Amino acid sequence: MMDTFLFIALPYVAFVICVIGTIIRIKKWPVSYSALSSQFLEPKALMWGSVPWHIGIVVITVGHLLAFCFPGLWQSMMGKAEILLATETIGFAAGVVCLAGLIVLILRRIGSSKVQAVTSTMDLIILGLLLAQVLLGLAVALHYKYGAAWVSGTASPYLFSLFTLQPNLQFIQDLPVAVKAHMVLAYLLILLIPFSRLIHMFAVPLQYVFRPAQNVVWNNPRHSEASEANYQQEEARREFIKGAAGITLGCGVLAIGTVDKVYNFFFGPRLSAKEEEEIMSTRLKRLQMTANQRKLELERQTSNFILVSALSDLKANEGKYFIDFNMNTAMAFAGEDGLPILMSAKCTHLGCTVSNQVDEKGQVLCPCHVSFFDVKTGKPNAGAPAKNPLPMLPWAIMDKRGKVIAERAASGQITGDTALSSIKECNVYITRDLEGKA
Amino acid sequence: MSSGHPRTSKNLLSFIADRFPVDKLNFHHMVEEKRVPIHRMSWGYYTGGLTALFFLIQVVTGLFLLFYYQPTVSDANISVEFISHHVAGGALIRNMHAWSSSCMIFSAIVHLLTAFAMKAFDKPREITWISGVLLLLITFAFGFTGYLLPWNQIAVNATKVGLQSVEDLSQCLPPFLAGLPRVLRETFQGEASIGQSTLGRFYAMHIVLLPLAIASLLGLHLLCVQLHGMSKGVDKETDKSERFFPFFIFKDLFIWAIVFLGLFTVSICVPFDSFLPYPLLAPYDPLAATPPGIKPEWYFYFVYYPLEMLPFPVIVALSNILMAVLFLTPWIFKGTSRRTLQTLALSATAYLIVMTLFGEQIVHFVKP
Repeated sequence: MMDTFLFIALPYVAFVICVIGTIIRIKKWPVSYSALSSQFLEPKALMWGSVPWHIGIVVITVGHLLAFCFPGLWQSMMGKAEILLATETIGFAAGVVCLAGLIVLILRRIGSSKVQAVTSTMDLIILGLLLAQVLLGLAVALHYKYGAAWVSGTASPYLFSLFTLQPNLQFIQDLPVAVKAHMVLAYLLILLIPFSRLIHMFAVPLQYVFRPAQNVVWNNPRHSEASEANYQQEEARREFIKGAAGITLGCGVLAIGTVDKVYNFFFGPRLSAKEEEEIMSTRLKRLQMTANQRKLELERQTSNFILVSALSDLKANEGKYFIDFNMNTAMAFAGEDGLPILMSAKCTHLGCTVSNQVDEKGQVLCPCHVSFFDVKTGKPNAGAPAKNPLPMLPWAIMDKRGKVIAERAASGQITGDTALSSIKECNVYITRDLEGKA
Repeated sequence: MSSGHPRTSKNLLSFIADRFPVDKLNFHHMVEEKRVPIHRMSWGYYTGGLTALFFLIQVVTGLFLLFYYQPTVSDANISVEFISHHVAGGALIRNMHAWSSSCMIFSAIVHLLTAFAMKAFDKPREITWISGVLLLLITFAFGFTGYLLPWNQIAVNATKVGLQSVEDLSQCLPPFLAGLPRVLRETFQGEASIGQSTLGRFYAMHIVLLPLAIASLLGLHLLCVQLHGMSKGVDKETDKSERFFPFFIFKDLFIWAIVFLGLFTVSICVPFDSFLPYPLLAPYDPLAATPPGIKPEWYFYFVYYPLEMLPFPVIVALSNILMAVLFLTPWIFKGTSRRTLQTLALSATAYLIVMTLFGEQIVHFVKP
């Protein structure tokens, strides 16, 4: 019987009185349709009370409304532990902020004589109800954890049944007394809206942010001097609030969009065994390349002869790349006379590596700035960006036992036995340019 | 002033006092009182802020990349591949770093041209201008050193060409200095050919030396900007202006937000290196031929294409003249009207656009 009165009759009565009372009050006493600001009387405590209270209560109300208006979405979201925890934390924090602000507001009402002069009994009733409501809400949050989740099976369907005019009490029958009291207080507060300053919730001054600043024109000369400066100050303040709100919103959106990605970036990938294997083998291959490079370097520091190729493997139309004593790329061709041609492949213009493919004119191309070099002489074509010929490198031809059969000195002079029959089984080496170094 | 001061030191003192008016060194003057003129060149006031935005993006994304990048010849390329293909959001971060680097150079150049056209270098803002020119040079150095780090074909080969051009300076020097460019190149290169030593040096410059340099110079630059306020920008007297704080600064931040959104979108959709054929992006192989198509980044085209067409000494002479003019601008163009300066800036812009967009065609036209 009691339940039927409190949870079926009271909500309908409260709702009807709230709607009708609000309309009558707005029609009959439009000027009273406000929060009856007392900022003029006492601004400081008001700031520390009103601002946290309103921030907190807006967050809480939006949370409650979301849970009741989108029960399906809400339920699926609260199924995720992270979201549930975040929601509970935000809700509780907002409740604490509310409570802090409310306590400041109550102390102000009873502490300041100026404010008391404009305080009605209704104000005190409302403050008491709100305090009880916030305390109850926090107690429920602490004692019956995860209300954001269990509300979907209890209060949500009950409210839905109220709105569809088929009130069904079974959803809330077994709820704890504290929760039920929280609901009853909510109905009382709704009922009191038209009879109290709570009516100001229908007059949120959103247009304040967008309207141009008002320049108050004073007749009193003492004020009129300061008025222009005040106007500027006011305009700047308004711009700052808008800008700061925009930045907060922007940063918030950015954070929501990127926080998990940033986290995953730092967390690092968790690769499958196959991917891991692929990366490792590539890495090993690159390390081997580097090791080979180092080996080449060491070899060039310690020996005077470096093997290039077997003479019979050299071709006339495609050079074989090798690394010369200065760790630059060079290439080897077979000459018409059967002797090798060894030339630097480092372009004399800006140091790119010249191609090893010989064209029909007997030239190789440097792709960077299009210089053609004659393979026989190393000379660039007329008008090429490269002005100097590719240097010819000294070489030696040795037989299998390491005996030098023929040699080309750095000066270009060729000595030894150059008969094809005696060198065709031999290997080609580059020789350290001893005179050149000295 | 007492007669004890010699004339020159007195002049120096008053020069410094004019450039750094300590009585204005306070919040009230530098922020609350500061006003930004409103006229048809006002958009120029936003170009510096945009450059700063891109710089901040570079710092943040660069820090991100540092978590995975490994500066060794064997691992550099594979670590970059790892960032792009395996790390969550890695491709986006790398893309943003690359796109934002180009944007930073672009907006820095636009900032220089507009500052020139608006005569923002005029007394007492000489130090602002010179620090700005230095900042631009450092930004180019950032581009050059950062280009090598992925250690792919185009990176190493383009760096090779760049460093070799340094050595080629010796043709233009008197005999007793002719050895200097070689020493310079080997200092930066670290060994006979580009290798681990070069990578280590470029890496250290890119992530420590240049950031330190740019941070300190940027501090000086911004201090000067706030101390002297915005230059008036046009010859005609204007009485319209708005307060820097909070009006101008929020407009500035609003533009930042839009530009960031654009950059973010582009970085998600268009990989920066999608304009290059694969052989140029393959890991660097010291034993292979240089693949065709080695080119510097677009922001070096304005000097790269002339280099293809004109003899090297001519280019060296021209760039030296350009440098001298840039550094001496506050004194050379002291009495020049903004109208003339605008014409000069416009012709420089035209040259930069034409050479960057059509440089290749011009080279083919001149040298078929």
